[in-house]
Amino acid sequence: MALDAQAGEEIPPLLIDSISSEPMKTVAALLHDSNPIHFDVEAVQALGMGDRVVNQGPNNMAYVVNMLASWAGSPGRVRGLRVRFLGNVFAGDRLTARGTVTGVREEGGERFADLDVWLERAEDDRVLDGTAVVALG
Amino acid sequence: MAIAVEELEALVGKPFPGGRYTIEPYRHWLMQDAVGGPATRAGEASPMEGYYGALAGMGLSVDELFALVGATADDGPMFGEAGIDVRRPLEIGATYRVSGGITGVVRKEGRKAGVFDIVTFRLELVGEDGELAAVSTNSFIFPRRD
Repeated sequence: MALDAQAGEEIPPLLIDSISSEPMKTVAALLHDSNPIHFDVEAVQALGMGDRVVNQGPNNMAYVVNMLASWAGSPGRVRGLRVRFLGNVFAGDRLTARGTVTGVREEGGERFADLDVWLERAEDDRVLDGTAVVALG
Repeated sequence: MAIAVEELEALVGKPFPGGRYTIEPYRHWLMQDAVGGPATRAGEASPMEGYYGALAGMGLSVDELFALVGATADDGPMFGEAGIDVRRPLEIGATYRVSGGITGVVRKEGRKAGVFDIVTFRLELVGEDGELAAVSTNSFIFPRRD
């Protein structure tokens, strides 16, 4: 089904009420990521980074992808994502992924929406931002 | 002593070993379950697989990539930017050939951060039919403390 989008439109945000430490262990294993800050609180404390484990950066990207796929209706419609990592996310953080359509264009017979996207702890505390491209069908 | 910038620049354009990456159904399910996405074992894959596949199939571990640019995980490398460009939807169960390498090196000095290098690398995922499916572009920031 074709999706309608207009420049300036805010897409439905995705709220994550509390980042859990348990999935970070699964992700560490799947990505062969040996950095203990993702699963060992003592390692985080030893680095003076507090007492909560640190989420993997790609997870923060994935939340934005989930928001886009949910809006677009399928993951296959999410065609591009470019992000900057601005800060660490810790277990227990409350996050919101948000996006705004910046333009709609046609290319190769297909319609696309360009978006600004970001992940925030609060309005003035973004942990990731960037741009995305979604096929509208 | 930090690796010479000339040594880093000499890495630009040299291909990584490369390899293959299959979006294993069980792995897709587990990863999506972990990040709150639709946990599926068939059909269209999350575009994040373009990122996971690039890193898993580049033929180097992340530690080996760090060593290549004269760094270790203990140096505190950070993510800079990450990009995924999906040319056609990725499929769960499909296998992709992964190739690419370092495309850019920039040495900078900040008043607080000191000397650091931004290393950018680009990896392509090509389907078994030879068609480009996705491009992953990433940069890491490597603090250089002598």
